[in-house]
Amino acid sequence: MELEDLKSIWKSSEPTFQPKNETEIASMLTGRSRSIIEKLKRNVWFELVLTLVVSVALLVYALALTSGMLQKAFISILVICLAYTFYYIKKLMLLNRFNPANENVHANLVSLIDSLEGYLKFYRRSYSILYPLYFGLVLLLGAIERGTTQFLEHLSKPKTIAYLLFMAAVVFFLCTSFTNWYLKKLYGNHLDKLKGLLKDLEQ
Amino acid sequence: MAIAEEKRFINLINEHQGLIHKVCIMYENDPDVRNDLFQEIVFQLWKSFSTFRGEAKITTWMYRIALNTAISGFRKQTRNVKTEDLKELHLNISEGWADDREEEVQRLHWAIRQLSEIERAMIMMALEEVPYEEIAETIGITQNNVRVRMNRIREKLKKLMCP
Repeated sequence: MELEDLKSIWKSSEPTFQPKNETEIASMLTGRSRSIIEKLKRNVWFELVLTLVVSVALLVYALALTSGMLQKAFISILVICLAYTFYYIKKLMLLNRFNPANENVHANLVSLIDSLEGYLKFYRRSYSILYPLYFGLVLLLGAIERGTTQFLEHLSKPKTIAYLLFMAAVVFFLCTSFTNWYLKKLYGNHLDKLKGLLKDLEQ
Repeated sequence: MAIAEEKRFINLINEHQGLIHKVCIMYENDPDVRNDLFQEIVFQLWKSFSTFRGEAKITTWMYRIALNTAISGFRKQTRNVKTEDLKELHLNISEGWADDREEEVQRLHWAIRQLSEIERAMIMMALEEVPYEEIAETIGITQNNVRVRMNRIREKLKKLMCP
């Protein structure tokens, strides 16, 4: 069976489809994109807005408190929330780098894989940095609550050190596993598919 | 100015919508998902319409964006439809068709759907009489590679259609 035979079969029956009219086409120009990059961007924007809203709420609440442990705790969380806004901006910058428009299929796949891998790497790395930060914050709040002298005394006990190290390892393991599972579930399968397509193309 | 550009774009899509429909049919079986894909392709074409300077043929540009969207850029929500549809289609073929030519057409469509997504893109363009040079340009491989792969695809289709 030659290509010409296949062409003859192909042309003998044009696929049936419902043609779109001008109004329908015009309405498609203003719709929401369902591309993976646009979805990621929307997620990041949502998280960014949510963080900002929570930050403002925390600030208002912290200012309403007179003083004490709770106020310090809220202000610490507020500082972390503000740090997150830079993190989201960096995420958006990474996603905005991807411009698939006029590239060929091969170049588009390479670019999309690079963008997604870079994004996921940044996601994992940022969480790896944030876990110790949270842990340090818990210690700091403990120190504020107990008083520095009493806290350091308590911290120097081998039992406390062992307990803290154990907890740090457990929390780190659980959080890292959850992040990896979550990312794999959300984007990992799509990334694997893209890598498979690229492999197929380069064979 | 913007309205004139929009009008020009809509006319262009109107004129070449068959190309987009064929890409959608090639990659999606479920009519709803196919419709979503059509919409996404039109949206992506519109996004890059302002950067199209006419260096390539309009159909090459359209194939490039349509295939990029169908192959790698589109995430569908319903995922189980495809397999079921293929099973159904295969069942119809097995049960026999009154018309031989119609059976051949259905067999060809079924066989194409068994190919990888890249191979599907290449055979579709070849069947639509797109020259190898343009296929190479759209896919991003050499013309020689297109020839080699087309031979492989043809062999695969032959085996699938006449086992």
